[in-house]
Amino acid sequence: MLHRRDALKGLALTVGAAATGWAGRAAAATAPALDWTPAALTGDQARLVDAVAELIIPATDTPGARQAGVPQFIDRALANYCDKSQKDLLIGGLTRMDADARAAHGDVFVALKPEQQVAMLTTYDQEAGVAKGQNPGQPHFFAALEDWVTVGYFTSEPGATMALRYDPVPGAYHGCVPLAEIGRAWATR
Amino acid sequence: MANLNGRARKKNTYDAIVVGSGITGGIAAKELTEKGLKVLVLERGRMVRHLEDYPTATLDPWQTKYPQGQLPPDELAARYPVQRRTGYTMTEYTQHFFVRDDTNPYTETNRFDWIRGYHVGGRSLTWGRQSYRHSPIDFEANAREGIAVDWPIRYEDLAPWYDHVERFIGVSGQAEGLPQLPDGVYQPPMEMNCVEKAFKAKSEARFPERRITMGRTAHLTDPTEEQLSLGRTKCQYRNMCIRGCPFGGYYSSNSGGLVAAERTGNLVIRPNSIVTELIHDEKAGRATGVRILDAVTRKDEEFHADVIFLCASALNSAWLMMNSTSSRFPNGFGNGSDQLGRNVMDHHLGVGASGEAPDFADMYYSGRRPNGIYVPRFRNLGDAATKRSDYLRGFGYQGGASRPGWERDLKKGGRGFGAERKAALTQPGPWSMGLGGFGEILPYEDNRITLNRDVKDEFGLPTLTMNVTMRENELAMRKDMQNAAAEMLEAAGFKNVRGYDGGFAPGLGIHEMGTARMGRDPKTSVLNAYNQVHECKNVYVTDGAAMTSASCVNPSLTYMALTARAADHAVKARKRGDL
Repeated sequence: MLHRRDALKGLALTVGAAATGWAGRAAAATAPALDWTPAALTGDQARLVDAVAELIIPATDTPGARQAGVPQFIDRALANYCDKSQKDLLIGGLTRMDADARAAHGDVFVALKPEQQVAMLTTYDQEAGVAKGQNPGQPHFFAALEDWVTVGYFTSEPGATMALRYDPVPGAYHGCVPLAEIGRAWATR
Repeated sequence: MANLNGRARKKNTYDAIVVGSGITGGIAAKELTEKGLKVLVLERGRMVRHLEDYPTATLDPWQTKYPQGQLPPDELAARYPVQRRTGYTMTEYTQHFFVRDDTNPYTETNRFDWIRGYHVGGRSLTWGRQSYRHSPIDFEANAREGIAVDWPIRYEDLAPWYDHVERFIGVSGQAEGLPQLPDGVYQPPMEMNCVEKAFKAKSEARFPERRITMGRTAHLTDPTEEQLSLGRTKCQYRNMCIRGCPFGGYYSSNSGGLVAAERTGNLVIRPNSIVTELIHDEKAGRATGVRILDAVTRKDEEFHADVIFLCASALNSAWLMMNSTSSRFPNGFGNGSDQLGRNVMDHHLGVGASGEAPDFADMYYSGRRPNGIYVPRFRNLGDAATKRSDYLRGFGYQGGASRPGWERDLKKGGRGFGAERKAALTQPGPWSMGLGGFGEILPYEDNRITLNRDVKDEFGLPTLTMNVTMRENELAMRKDMQNAAAEMLEAAGFKNVRGYDGGFAPGLGIHEMGTARMGRDPKTSVLNAYNQVHECKNVYVTDGAAMTSASCVNPSLTYMALTARAADHAVKARKRGDL
């Protein structure tokens, strides 16, 4: 907090390096080798989460889910946070995605073409919409997965400080400011 | 041997003992030490030092152990089945400021949400900080309506002490000149945002009697020399108050009363000291001290003083008195009236309305304001125009307008994915505004807590049984609370206005009070007009237990004013030799 400027400088370096590393790659089609060791997920599951997270929140003018460490965030949540029903929902969903991918296209999800992956997620998203209407108490795996990705992304340092605006110590409250002057939504309330 | 005992007794003897270190214990400690008394503050929980012991105060969102700082569902269910009921108190950010329910049991004959923090500072670290005065009609209501017993004091008795406390703690707010919400000593009010300003203009045009003002809150916006000298400074608009404020921006016992008391050199704080009993000397007709159980060594010890202040919170001060039986007080300390533990009150909430603002899509705000707007009570003010036939007393609204962030997209299905959704979530959502009611609960003798000697806590001490319910008056009021809020939002042109009543269980307002009420007659009340136990004048009870009625405003400021007034009385009475 006291060294906020230094912290931001450090962040810019980290993110910059990461951005260069991934530049030019098709967002999710390439299943990258994991450069981290999952605690709860298997290696295959981690690669699947990595691919899906980046499809849900891709890198644009700001970092995507992968660069924000969302797959690691989800792995950590599974390892130290989720209860059994949350785990079962998520792992069950991952298992189903690869089974569906094999049945439709003869290979696991991460090996599919980007347009095939997007088509599958579109189907799941529609299912999740129907499920929400029919049984709000029982979430669809894709709705849950998308929530994990969303939370992981917007509470990450790149998500909060680059995709959104974050101010740890505002110092004042101004009640009527043109949105254009602020530009983006605040990361925290 | 006699000599040794004499020395031990002297070592453990003070001018005054204060039981509890929260919102009232801090004020009692400050007032008594500043008036020259040597004071021992006994706190059942651990030490929490201002600045040093706020481990989560500056955590950024990405620094939490758990997603969004939420505790794992399994841990919540196992350890915090009650503390989780508020929905906002039990998080990774605040866990250390609330009790574990599995080791602090009580029995619910009817559901009662007892939200507690056992540590130095108590709930003054995590309170809502809204600070309003009771009004003349609040003090007169019981007598006028024939409800319970009359307050033994009137607004004028407490007014100078409200001034005194507001000056010390620092309250920001707007004077309004309303008889039902007396003005106080205020630092500049916080700012309303565009939507709140427009709401105020339009709603007041339609309902002029429903004044809309800025929340009066114990935050510094223009600190005094005294506040600065205590190491406190201006509110920084972080809105992370509940984690403890490294700026001392809001008032807590830890950043205020205890610091002021400490610098007199007259204060000793003893944490981990569970006061189990008041010691009563029958011959002298006074209390001589207290017995404690040291929570660490599990040993008993006695401390002595001329004056004892109970500031342990309404339910725990009552617990201590109920647990202090003797041949003089077979039914609990000072309980000749049988009113001890009765008349439990709270404020009922969880009812109101919300809507979407039609304008200002191009406007936003900066800073996180730890405060909202306030609508003072506008029902049953004593005139024909505001009189309701369906219920007594009234309610106020707390609310505000804001634009939701990315969280608005959670728990949905069929919301799309990819770059377009991401871009949408980097922009704020549409303005929405909510008004939530805080309603007065009447004192009912059979809304009571009792001592339960069958269920013991981890120290083998008796526990409480809660039997408190909402009655017809409260339920009738809730309908009006919902409708009137929707009416105001509709009058102000809001869209999709939706009234709600999420239900309410006593305790959830975290304003429990009334268990040792003040009154004029020792036969029908526990405390007199100066918060002295009628039957034992050197024991003062100045926390929420003292309340004779609840008003509808947040009570901490009144507890603090009662405490400062009682401390002044105690010091003078002691000097006169009256105690």
